[in-house]
Amino acid sequence: MSARGIVNWFVDRLALKPILDYMHKKEVPQHHHTIWYYTGSSILLFLFIQIITGILLALYYQPTLEGANASVGRIMTELPLGWLVRSIHSWSATFMIATAVIHMLAIWFTKSYRKPREVTWMTGFVLLVVSMMFGFTGYLLPWDDLSLAATKVGTNIPKAIPVVGTWVTQLLRGGDDVTGDTLTRFFIFHVCVLPLLVFAVMIVHILLVQKEGMSIPLKDEVEKKKLPWLPFWPNFILRETMIWLVLLGILLTISVLFAPSLDLSADLMAPAPEGVKPEWYFLFLFQTLKIFPANMGPVTGEFVAVALILVVVVAIFFMPFLEGNPRGKRSKLVTYGGILGVIYAIVMSIWSLL
Amino acid sequence: MRKLGFGFLLVTVSLAMVPPATIAGQAGTPPSVKDKAQVEAALSSGQTGEAPAPQDVKPAASTAAKPAAKKPPAIRTEPIVPAYQNIKERAAVQVFFVWLWLSIGVLLYFLRWWVQEADRVFKAKFYEPVESPRKDNPLPPLLGE
Repeated sequence: MSARGIVNWFVDRLALKPILDYMHKKEVPQHHHTIWYYTGSSILLFLFIQIITGILLALYYQPTLEGANASVGRIMTELPLGWLVRSIHSWSATFMIATAVIHMLAIWFTKSYRKPREVTWMTGFVLLVVSMMFGFTGYLLPWDDLSLAATKVGTNIPKAIPVVGTWVTQLLRGGDDVTGDTLTRFFIFHVCVLPLLVFAVMIVHILLVQKEGMSIPLKDEVEKKKLPWLPFWPNFILRETMIWLVLLGILLTISVLFAPSLDLSADLMAPAPEGVKPEWYFLFLFQTLKIFPANMGPVTGEFVAVALILVVVVAIFFMPFLEGNPRGKRSKLVTYGGILGVIYAIVMSIWSLL
Repeated sequence: MRKLGFGFLLVTVSLAMVPPATIAGQAGTPPSVKDKAQVEAALSSGQTGEAPAPQDVKPAASTAAKPAAKKPPAIRTEPIVPAYQNIKERAAVQVFFVWLWLSIGVLLYFLRWWVQEADRVFKAKFYEPVESPRKDNPLPPLLGE
């Protein structure tokens, strides 16, 4: 049987014809914001790399108090190219979150979340939050002093929430303090719970993107302008492949040249080391918590900070509904809010690093 | 554009020649065997969570008779800086690096062609149903049509 015959056999048996037909018919509008379409698929590329390298690391990683740091050390020093696999895993996480943030901001500023794409925006935002949770849970796994201290700070934040706060902290830690149970729990979250959640939400997100099609600029939509378009297959896919190749090359280059090191195993009884810092994407939240005073009238400063962060998170999640008319006055406020938010996050992150 | 791409490729390939240890501050030191031994010892001793002092461990006269004998424990005292394990691995990574960027360069070159060809075919409406020039003035079908 020829190669073509084998492909046709699979297409027939797996009933892939409707999907292939759909891909042939799918159109990608061409306009000055088309470049942002590529960010979505780049996230998928990094997620795929995360899965492959994550599986390789999980083959040797031991999620126990005694074995965590030593097993990461073993991966780095004994296994062939183990340090590189760990480096690619770590850097692709950074790349994935960076691309997801860029993707979200592009959608924010082009107002692509407007009707009928509200749920697409909401699922996308959930995916970004889950990606950050991947980063948070993964940060503890090497079990060094810095990751232990950062996790203590991170899991302490929910305590500021009234009624359920202490319970959430205990749920995350598996007790009152960060211990070996927390490590096992974070490992399960990292390799089991969060991947399931990501896949479930991602399927809905991608299906919605296919159902509604790619959004076009608001101005062109209002003017009902007929935009030029390109077929998704093969014209757009080929362009995407070019971008994936370049991103893959950059990722591997950075992973080889700037591989992360491994600190000494964490000591539960030791005081927190100086200069505790979370991952770069949590720096602005970390600094926000730091700038609030201990007490603000009848409530603690931490409570006010956490409440504000939660309000902003909920507002972003429901943004398509809060905005109303995408050409209205409130819509401009949302855009300015986004710009201010980006400036705030950059300034706070830099401040945190100083 | 092509010159720029070639320059980028050249810079990356030369960067690939620099071992990561140099950048990380451990010029050319291969992964220390000491580190390896320490990790091994930490792994074996770490199961109990305790690390007995080296002098407490006596060499076993008969290994069969004393199954509890452990390897000399050693707790790692320095962070592990990522580095090539040996010259073979270093060479493998460098060859891979060069191969990677060359492949990317070659693939991008062909993909660009492919994109141009796909766009040309699309603009020429190659796959769209052909409108017959006889549409407005239909003629009877030819024999055998």
